[in-house]
Amino acid sequence: MKVPGKTTSQIAIYAAVCIAILLVPLVLDDAFLLNKYARYLVFGMLAVSLSLSWGYAGILNLGQAMTFGLGSYCMAMALKLKTIPVHTGSDGLPDFMVWNNVTELPWFWIPFHSLAFGVAAGILVPVALAALLGWFVFKGRVTGVYAAIITLAAMVVVQLLIIDQQRFTGGFNGITDLAQFEVAGFAFDAYGSSSYYLVAGCLAVTLFLALFITKSKTGLILQAIRDQEDRVRFFGYDVALYKIFVFSVSAGIAGLAGMLYTIVMEFASPTFLGVPLSLSVVIWVAVGGRQSLLGAMLGALVVTGVQGALSESETFLETWTLVMGLLFVLVVLFLPKGLAGAFEKIAARFERTPPGAVAESTAPRSEPIKSGREIEGVS
Amino acid sequence: MSPVTEDQLIMDRASVSFSGFLAVSELTLRVRKGELRCLIGPNGAGKTTALDLVCGKTRLTAGEIRFEGRPIHHLSEHRIARAGIGRKFQVPSVFRELSVWDNLHIGHSQQPGVLANLIRFRRNIDAEDISRLAELVGLQADLKTQAAHLSHGQTQWLEIALILAQDPALILMDEPTAGMTAQETKKTAQLFDRLRGRHTLVVVEHDMGFVRDIAETITVMHQGKLLAEGTIAQIETNQQVRDAYLGSGGIGHA
Amino acid sequence: MEIFVSQIMTGLSIASILMLVALGLAIIYGVTGVINLAHGEFVMLGAYAAWFLQTQFGLSLLVSLVPIFILVALFGWLIEALVIRHLYERPLDTILATWGIGVMAQQAVRLIAGGELRYVEMPPALATSVTIFGASESAYRLFILFLALALFALTWCIYRYTHFGLKLRAIAQNRSIASSFGINSGRIYRFTFAYGAGIAGLAGALVSPLKSVSPEMGTTYVVDAFMVVVLGGVQSLMGTLASSGILGELTGYIAFYSNDTIAKALVLLAIVVLIRFRPQGLFAGRVRT
Repeated sequence: MKVPGKTTSQIAIYAAVCIAILLVPLVLDDAFLLNKYARYLVFGMLAVSLSLSWGYAGILNLGQAMTFGLGSYCMAMALKLKTIPVHTGSDGLPDFMVWNNVTELPWFWIPFHSLAFGVAAGILVPVALAALLGWFVFKGRVTGVYAAIITLAAMVVVQLLIIDQQRFTGGFNGITDLAQFEVAGFAFDAYGSSSYYLVAGCLAVTLFLALFITKSKTGLILQAIRDQEDRVRFFGYDVALYKIFVFSVSAGIAGLAGMLYTIVMEFASPTFLGVPLSLSVVIWVAVGGRQSLLGAMLGALVVTGVQGALSESETFLETWTLVMGLLFVLVVLFLPKGLAGAFEKIAARFERTPPGAVAESTAPRSEPIKSGREIEGVS
Repeated sequence: MSPVTEDQLIMDRASVSFSGFLAVSELTLRVRKGELRCLIGPNGAGKTTALDLVCGKTRLTAGEIRFEGRPIHHLSEHRIARAGIGRKFQVPSVFRELSVWDNLHIGHSQQPGVLANLIRFRRNIDAEDISRLAELVGLQADLKTQAAHLSHGQTQWLEIALILAQDPALILMDEPTAGMTAQETKKTAQLFDRLRGRHTLVVVEHDMGFVRDIAETITVMHQGKLLAEGTIAQIETNQQVRDAYLGSGGIGHA
Repeated sequence: MEIFVSQIMTGLSIASILMLVALGLAIIYGVTGVINLAHGEFVMLGAYAAWFLQTQFGLSLLVSLVPIFILVALFGWLIEALVIRHLYERPLDTILATWGIGVMAQQAVRLIAGGELRYVEMPPALATSVTIFGASESAYRLFILFLALALFALTWCIYRYTHFGLKLRAIAQNRSIASSFGINSGRIYRFTFAYGAGIAGLAGALVSPLKSVSPEMGTTYVVDAFMVVVLGGVQSLMGTLASSGILGELTGYIAFYSNDTIAKALVLLAIVVLIRFRPQGLFAGRVRT
């Protein structure tokens, strides 16, 4: 059975979008705008990570910002230690530690003297935490609404801890006054095209990595799990393991996005692990289309873009939040697959009805089954 | 009869109770390798629950289940499936949001690992096998159709095809012909005939015509217990069986 | 003895507010299966309604309780009719939709009433203190306690003894079967939602003199109330009562002796562990499936 060239055209579209994004600095020579766009791209990456777990595996992570924030803090810790001695007190301690009367660099800060360690930790810490949380939740067969609530609660716990441990984390203020990210002597200026390229490049890689996963049989099984988790078990697949896998990959991508965010924002803050950001990610993905990686990403770019354009006026921004809330509710109600789903539907209609052709060839066959969701019997 | 060692599936005094109600009570059942066993009984006899116990959907409260000599009742569902047991559910249970092709691809689960499947794509594997299966159940023209758009009978067959893709040694079928037309039922009977010998089948069925067509040995359950076991002729003349079915309109209309 | 009594009374006071908020959430969840993340905003709206009625019309809090209940209930009614009823088949989406509604309500209030803190005056008649076993206790807090208990008793009676309550219980058990017996589940769901919202509104109005009123005030309440519901069990009103009592006393105790942030984190961790190991709650026997 030959599969139609749907995948090929999809790859072409994804590549085109990535190239377009990478070309932006050639036509735009405004450092401030480039920095702003790089930030939007980071959010796009965060949206891709949520689309992977929510759209494909049905795991609604209401705490996606948790792993994002952890990545961001790992990067900030490494970059903070690079500022020695400018923004440090005596003994090479970060300034906020000195203010909080810490006399010795805590043990978990020490390895962050190595930037490579910081980068690795920025991905591995989120992955490890997600794997642990995933094991706890999915092995226990907690699903749906309850799993979503757990992700939300877990995030707030981590955020509270970071705020509470001010001596080691900078508390409410986060970690500020960072060095520039530097690889082999090349410094990435947050307001230069280099950082933009770094973010855009990472985004392209992540997008294709995610596409690769969704196109593999593992991706197919994840979709089957989303559809009917119980049924998948009886084919011999370890459902919990599949969910832990996608949950962790999603966390790793979010962690990477968090690191990039620190690079372009030049600080890390506990708001990066906050409920408002998590809600925003869910909104972007829902509006763009949870079952389309590209749709979710574009959703993030468009929503944050409009938000950024309106941010000059407080009233505009507040009204915008209200409009976003409304839009979100409407999308949830009427467009469960978001704008990408709507677009696909329209495209499919054009495809299927060439001029003069008989319409309605796609009408469902006789009596589709009302509900096959539950496996029969006692549950 | 055959020696004990040939028994592939053994349920040994298996019992399960739901908050005090004994759905299956001390059920002992032995199925030989390659056999086609029909499980019948009036409504509420515990047939579906018996299948649930074997595939791990429901857990035993007492007793033991052995498959190919190994106790399996403590294994998780996916491990039971990997041991070689496939299950078709009463309400046809397929992945409605996915295409027929994708459904079959998932059914083809000889390689269940996450990472192993990460480097498998729909293009390069299983294609021939899947086409063959689709043809077997008459869905070759619908490979791209979303499973939600299939008719009831087609959905039943898709699930049967999924089980065949899984290729388990033991297949548990829960009312495979429910909702099928007479024509479709006949075709299913032919299909089961071909599976005989290669797979062990345990079929729960209400359609006595169908049972007559396919059965070698019939097991009758009543109120969670084993009532009788034997050939179709023995069962149909068994007084206890007649009594059990009394009130539900006779054995043919259970 | 005095410290002991006052400690218990503080706990009871917290518990009574928790119970008022959680009662609505529990009813809505128990009957309709919807986790209403906008519940905190119902509380917030009640508080703002109290502030509005007091500053604009000079109504005392006690007088405005009934109109506030009706107002917020009406709001809940609308939300159910416009949004929630389309989503009963998609439980995950109800979380999203109610979350979105919560954001909208917060934002709308911020735009209309401004983001600054508002204050509501205590009813003068209750602005005294009463002495119980030697400990001095605010009359207003006692009033809330009695009102909370009265509302609970009323709800319990409706649930247990009225025809409406019978239908409620039938639907909570199995919606499709109840429907096939001619129970109009749509209408019952809407009533339930409105009633739950109304009680949340009352809770908001009642706490408004004790705490400052702000658009974000609902968020903390929804978390605590959710904890009460999870702990008490979805289907059990008595569970809600008991767990409010336990949590109220615990919170009072923890707040008295230790750090607030850690206390919050511990509550959340407890929610996580509880959901994982006892999703049916501590007091209920069976889970809704």
